[in-house]
Amino acid sequence: MLETDTRRDSIVESLLARGVTRRRFLEFCAATTAILALPVTYEARIAEALETAEKPTLVWLEFQDCAGNSESFLRARDPGVADIVLDILSVDYHETIMAAAGHQAEAAREEAIARGGHIVVVEGSVPTAHGGVYCTIGGKTAQQILAETVQGAAAVINTGTCSAYGGIPAAAPNPTGAVGVPELVSGVPVVNLPGCPMNVDNLTATIVHYLTFGALPATDGVGRPLFAYGERIHDHCERRAHFDAGQFALEWGDEGHRKGWCLYKMGCKGPSTFHNCPSQRWNGGTSWPIGAGHGCVGCSEPFFWDTMTPIYGRLPAPPGFGVTTSLEKIGAGIVGLTALGFGAHGVAKAVQRKRGGDAVQTPVEIDRSALRTGSDEEGGER
Amino acid sequence: MTTTPRERAEAAAREDPLQVVATAGCVTVRVWQLPVRVIHWTIFSSVVVLSLTGFYIGTPYLSVGSDPRFVMGWARAAHNLAAFVFIAAIVARIIWAFTGNKWSRWDQFVPISKARRQNAWAGFRYYTFLTRTPPPGAGHNALAGATYLVVLAMFVVQIFTGMALLGLEAGGAPSALFGWVFAVLPIPWVRFVHHLIMWTTWGFVVHHVYSAVLMDTEEKTGLISSIFTGWKRLPADRL
Repeated sequence: MLETDTRRDSIVESLLARGVTRRRFLEFCAATTAILALPVTYEARIAEALETAEKPTLVWLEFQDCAGNSESFLRARDPGVADIVLDILSVDYHETIMAAAGHQAEAAREEAIARGGHIVVVEGSVPTAHGGVYCTIGGKTAQQILAETVQGAAAVINTGTCSAYGGIPAAAPNPTGAVGVPELVSGVPVVNLPGCPMNVDNLTATIVHYLTFGALPATDGVGRPLFAYGERIHDHCERRAHFDAGQFALEWGDEGHRKGWCLYKMGCKGPSTFHNCPSQRWNGGTSWPIGAGHGCVGCSEPFFWDTMTPIYGRLPAPPGFGVTTSLEKIGAGIVGLTALGFGAHGVAKAVQRKRGGDAVQTPVEIDRSALRTGSDEEGGER
Repeated sequence: MTTTPRERAEAAAREDPLQVVATAGCVTVRVWQLPVRVIHWTIFSSVVVLSLTGFYIGTPYLSVGSDPRFVMGWARAAHNLAAFVFIAAIVARIIWAFTGNKWSRWDQFVPISKARRQNAWAGFRYYTFLTRTPPPGAGHNALAGATYLVVLAMFVVQIFTGMALLGLEAGGAPSALFGWVFAVLPIPWVRFVHHLIMWTTWGFVVHHVYSAVLMDTEEKTGLISSIFTGWKRLPADRL
């Protein structure tokens, strides 16, 4: 599969050749229909599309990454589905898993680009500082490789937060000038599948959507498909009832934590994060971070890492006060200092009043004698 | 105008006898009309509810144990309800700034005219101990007016961030109208600003009450009671 074969099989042919049964194939179609939140009637349409569609060529680029999305990709659910995932795609270039190396590998990428109509998957951010020296492959910078590879591509799919928004490499102080792919690519449809890593079910579904409808799925304001990122984690969390009830884990391993209460006070970023983790889950649907007893870290949001830290705090640390000072402490300090300041002002005003006499005359004088007389004479009459 | 203060007061009384009662050298004026007072206390009470519930939502200091009371659910419901009361009050006050009497008009809050700039300077000198004489005027002095403009700006930011955060959960109109906020500021920082403004609002309340007491003892115009009754008694030339 990873050799550069120019023969384009239909997906179903190659699945049958690999011993995937028709039942298994239809199960996959049903699961993908569910992930895409499509009505059940679309299952047949998806199956039909996958039976007739040619395997799309996939070029998987890795830049400033940890290969976590490749890991996610290779661990698709269970062996049967993994086969399907890998067989839907003709992965012509993937640095981590391809057999070819050196010039042969680069030739595979160039061939795919020459044919055109390929899907570019990007993993990792692209460094732009100092001429892009922080990530070069075969003598070319990441920026050059990206620009070459998206030529004539049908779509760009960003897997993981790094290629979508810059991610951890772009965290302050961002020494490599890392940026996400959307900032560098224009003229080709781009979709973001952020997460650390992305969930492979969402990648599969995105590609199936593309094969079925000929277009990338509808996205939100930051380029994420709505089927996977349209709902907030907090609103679909299995611990949400504990949040509304006011039941919170206050310490790791305390009674609330053992009982599976809400992790809000432990810094859970579920209320700030849009992703289908609660419903789609991870590792073949076995579990997910909050299910395993740890708060969400907000990995699929733009500006993760900077805006989602401290991981165990509710809000970002107030700038200039150090990470241990909470905003509420500073807020109470603001009120306290205001009270102190005006208290002191009041004392000083009282002293000034007692001493009598004006230091300086006001330019707009008022008739204070009339005021005094008025209130003394007419007091209580109104 | 070459009229005496007394003549001015009488003229004002002829114009609107309900609002001005002239007495010897002094007038009693209904400075704060009913809507102004109602809006003031609506804002105050909604801010109290919003702060108490908001502080609980941000920092849930109670964990209710095994007998759930739906505390967070109720706190959030009360917060949302009070928020709409608050928004209505702010909108009403902005409308009243263009339809109310001269002491509630928008130009009381924007020190752009020469007279208001001079008044602000006089207020500054009073607060910095350069003079014992408080700035003249029947309504807000120019410095106080400008402070309320800053407070209004804080409230507007609070409404925008709050509605954007509501949109995260509710979707629909709040999301459509205020979703752009997150293009300016990432979600956690929107929360940060929303919390910070709650605290600065209470800093303002401290200042506001202090200044009201200070001015009341200084001017003896019945400033404190005026926010309940609307009336102030002051020398006619201050009208």
